[in-house]
Amino acid sequence: MSVETHSHSNPHHEHPDVVGSRNRLGVILILVADIAMALSVLFVFFYLKGQNVNDMWLPAATPDSPAVLALSSKGTWYVTALAGLGAAAHFYGLKGVRAANRTQLVLGGGVALVFSLAALIYQFMQISSAPFTTTSGAYASCYYLIAALNTLHLVLTVFIAFGNWNRSRLGIYVADHWHVDIVNVWWIWMTVSSLLGAFALSFA
Amino acid sequence: MSELHTSNKAQWWKSADVKKTAILWVILTPIIGYVGTVVQLRSIGAPASEVMASVKSLMGIFTWAAAPVAGLVAALAVTALLGDRHYGDNPPEEADHEIRNSPRAAATWVIVSTLLCLFALITGLIVLQKDAKSLLDAKAININVTGQQWVWNFDYPESDGVRSEVLYLPVNKPVVFHITSKDVKHSFWVVQMGIKMDANPGYVTETAVTPDKIGVFDIRCAELCGLLHAYMQNKVHVVSQADYDSWLKTRAALEGAA
Amino acid sequence: MTTMMNRPASAPGDASGRKPLIERLNIVTALVVGTVSAIVIWQLALHFLPQDAETASFFNREDKISLMSLIAWFVGFMTGIGALIGPFRWAFGKDLNHDENMFLAGKDQGIKRYFRYTTDHKVVGIQYLVITIIILFVGGTLAMLIRTNLGHPQGGWIHPQAYNAIVGWHGIIMIVATIIMITGPFGNFIMPIMIGARDMAFPRLNALSFWLIVAAIPPVFISFFTGGITTGWSAYNPLASQAGLGMNGYIAFICIFAISTMVAGANITTTVVKMRAKGMTWNRTPIFIYGVVASVALALPAFPVFFLSQIMSAMDRAFATSFYNSAAGGSGWLYENLFWIMGHPEVYVILIPSVAALMEMAPVFTRRPLFSFNLAIMGIAGISGLSVLVWAHHMYISGWAPLLNAPFMLTTELISIPTGMLFLVLIGTLWRGRLWMTMPLMSIFALLWNFMIGGITGIYLSDVPADAFLHGSMYVTAHFHYTLMGAGLTGALASLVYWFPKMTGRMFDKTLSWVSFWLVQIGFNVAFIGMFLVGLAGQPRRVESYASIFNKGNLITTMGAYTIMAGMLVLLHGVISSWRNGVKAPMNPWQAKTLEWTVANPVPLENFETLPVITSDPYGYGKAQS
Repeated sequence: MSVETHSHSNPHHEHPDVVGSRNRLGVILILVADIAMALSVLFVFFYLKGQNVNDMWLPAATPDSPAVLALSSKGTWYVTALAGLGAAAHFYGLKGVRAANRTQLVLGGGVALVFSLAALIYQFMQISSAPFTTTSGAYASCYYLIAALNTLHLVLTVFIAFGNWNRSRLGIYVADHWHVDIVNVWWIWMTVSSLLGAFALSFA
Repeated sequence: MSELHTSNKAQWWKSADVKKTAILWVILTPIIGYVGTVVQLRSIGAPASEVMASVKSLMGIFTWAAAPVAGLVAALAVTALLGDRHYGDNPPEEADHEIRNSPRAAATWVIVSTLLCLFALITGLIVLQKDAKSLLDAKAININVTGQQWVWNFDYPESDGVRSEVLYLPVNKPVVFHITSKDVKHSFWVVQMGIKMDANPGYVTETAVTPDKIGVFDIRCAELCGLLHAYMQNKVHVVSQADYDSWLKTRAALEGAA
Repeated sequence: MTTMMNRPASAPGDASGRKPLIERLNIVTALVVGTVSAIVIWQLALHFLPQDAETASFFNREDKISLMSLIAWFVGFMTGIGALIGPFRWAFGKDLNHDENMFLAGKDQGIKRYFRYTTDHKVVGIQYLVITIIILFVGGTLAMLIRTNLGHPQGGWIHPQAYNAIVGWHGIIMIVATIIMITGPFGNFIMPIMIGARDMAFPRLNALSFWLIVAAIPPVFISFFTGGITTGWSAYNPLASQAGLGMNGYIAFICIFAISTMVAGANITTTVVKMRAKGMTWNRTPIFIYGVVASVALALPAFPVFFLSQIMSAMDRAFATSFYNSAAGGSGWLYENLFWIMGHPEVYVILIPSVAALMEMAPVFTRRPLFSFNLAIMGIAGISGLSVLVWAHHMYISGWAPLLNAPFMLTTELISIPTGMLFLVLIGTLWRGRLWMTMPLMSIFALLWNFMIGGITGIYLSDVPADAFLHGSMYVTAHFHYTLMGAGLTGALASLVYWFPKMTGRMFDKTLSWVSFWLVQIGFNVAFIGMFLVGLAGQPRRVESYASIFNKGNLITTMGAYTIMAGMLVLLHGVISSWRNGVKAPMNPWQAKTLEWTVANPVPLENFETLPVITSDPYGYGKAQS
């Protein structure tokens, strides 16, 4: 390979845009993996529903136990709505930092954090109040799987939203704010993944 | 340079290494085809159904279709290996050419491999169609096969609920197997008849065959199913129609007594 | 190490003289924290988890306890190694400063940096190399146990339960070893230098991907003593839900490994896309880089599916859900689909980087340009693209969708076209070259031979009627060993010898490399041709005993396997002796033209003092006729 050498300025101080775009790509690639998993969850749901092996998707009543009924998907849509509001709040903050308005950034990030916590708590309440158990057939299994996956996403979101808000508060995002942009990517995916779950559960 | 290049192009087949490769190709192709076919088909043994016979002929056809490709790669590799070799701790001088491409060779290669691929596909599809049709045979005997750890059970629903751990089949009569499992996944393999179908818990799968040889053949489980998977074997007895009828009668009497 | 800056006078460390946290964590703290958390959770669960109701149809308490302990081990180990420092420092707004980053990169720590959460890609590469050798050694030992048992017909000396566990264990750890054997050591050590970068895009994720693998290994090793993976590496459900507690080790292993693959995949892909040296356009990027990226990028969408299938398996075991339990509405076909959606791309994850590595070596050892670079890229891209559309050829005879057999037969057979392109590139590069007879060069010939056999037998298997006979027989086992070992491992061993001088600073002993090469290749062909024959004669896979008609073939296979073992032991001896006191390697022993040979031995901490600028591709060998 023909090589020319040329001197370079200090390698440890790359331009923030370079670092930002690299990090953005990395996060998107990790999201590719997560998207593959979320789509597989949809596959699981619709495959088991379509197969309805031994008519046990929603088991009929037996002498020991009443029939399992599908839950209204309303609750999952509420979680999605909370996640969407969080995303909107974060985007409001992002617009703030783009306009060099630190108050707006802290406010948006803080509200997003509150929404992520609210969504997480609401998700927990839903899981604990489900009128069936893990052994109640394939629908119940899928319900728990989707809920568990969403809970995991929400826990991550709370952590990320906290970090984002805390760093905004400490005034770290002044000159370069690519972290806030990337967190925005995550918020969008959080909303979409939640939406996918709610979508599937609407077809029980 | 361009002059040499064009003259090379016009008469590329005249160079010594191309000739050597061509000769090797002509020699190696039939050897590969012959050895590949004979060794494989001999190991498979005598078929006991038309399905198995067509598997054997398919494998023979594929081997012969692949032989020229394998022969060409082998001929090129041997030519290279017999050519300009250097030993030692330092690299030899760089080659006296810088061929980076040959659109003609690449195009030929891709077109030929596409054609071979289509050939394999069409040949396979023809046999596949034939096998699929046999499932719909209305005159066929229906047998329910149930796998469980680690035995096979065969039910003859059309013959007063006869049940057996050894499979009896009349020769030259089409049979359709309805296969399921009680516990984990098994795979119902009648070796010499060339049929195999998984036994899935919760599902019934089907496969069909017409045995065309009288004799005793092997049934083996072909999917790991736990501790004694290796011992989940049975025999299938292919007998004449008369023997089959009398076997059914004896079994039915036994069932009635029990 | 001339480029390293001196440590600032105020070394990290607070006034009290205690070293800061990141300097105190290493593999020992990781093992201690991991083990202690596992034991604490285990004991707590044992005492406080309610007993299963006596009327329950499933007994899940033991599975819950064992899974909880494994999770505790995992979290404890990762905390103890320091994986959580970065995220938490980010969240609390105390980003790592330059000195701390240099410490994490392993500056001035000698041998200790190999036992820490070190971010330098060269350290990670060596760590991967060592762990790959260890896993291959264990997997090889297990293979020898299998073959020894099968050398003797009618009931070997291993109990069927232990035999099944050994088969499953061999399968899964060899799959993992072959997945990481190129992209781990060479993808980490060589790749960044080859593209002219100072490190990976995300050095901390790089360390994370390695230490995740370390965290994943104890669960799978311990599983052998808690019932074993008695299901084969594919762990089909419902057989897996029936198996003992050892399955939980498998589940934990796969889940952790899947995260590691995802992290490594994102990291390596980003590095190549964003950090290539100035002037290294896509048509000047070495083909090995394409192979590595195709491999990890393919793993990116594939492994999460595997991860999910195992999470569902764990839920079935611990909470009696019914994903795979047909009595309660589950489906074994669901597992098979998820497993093979991962499982088929996975074999190309193994194969592509091996072939690409040999393509990288081919011009070096034939002293002529790579033949048809574009065709090589098309081949790699074609295989990667098609590989996600062929999974159901593993399920032709499962009966899940007979109507889909024909389309999957089409996609499967189409893969032979891009594969053929790779053959043409290799054979075209050998054509009219000046062959420098070395072990890596001969490995190209070996790959052509083995991969040809593996490829043609693959065409029989892709054909639905022929597969109805061959599926589940030893023929399949022989076929995939020809592709994954005959082609995949051959490329990895060649890479080891080829890049050994750069990674260790010493030449690989030439005689030992030849001896091992011939023993492995001859033994391999003897072993697996024998296996083809018993498969054709009707011997199923994964059996612990067999009918007497298979005696001869199995004996041949076992003898071949022992020859391979001899060859691999010679190679291991070569690695150890050459690493310790081999001939010191010059900077560019092979007179190759890729960038990794332009840096000194040992490679300095940030590889390049001044970053290179590329003006041509690395295949400018040969003289034009003028």
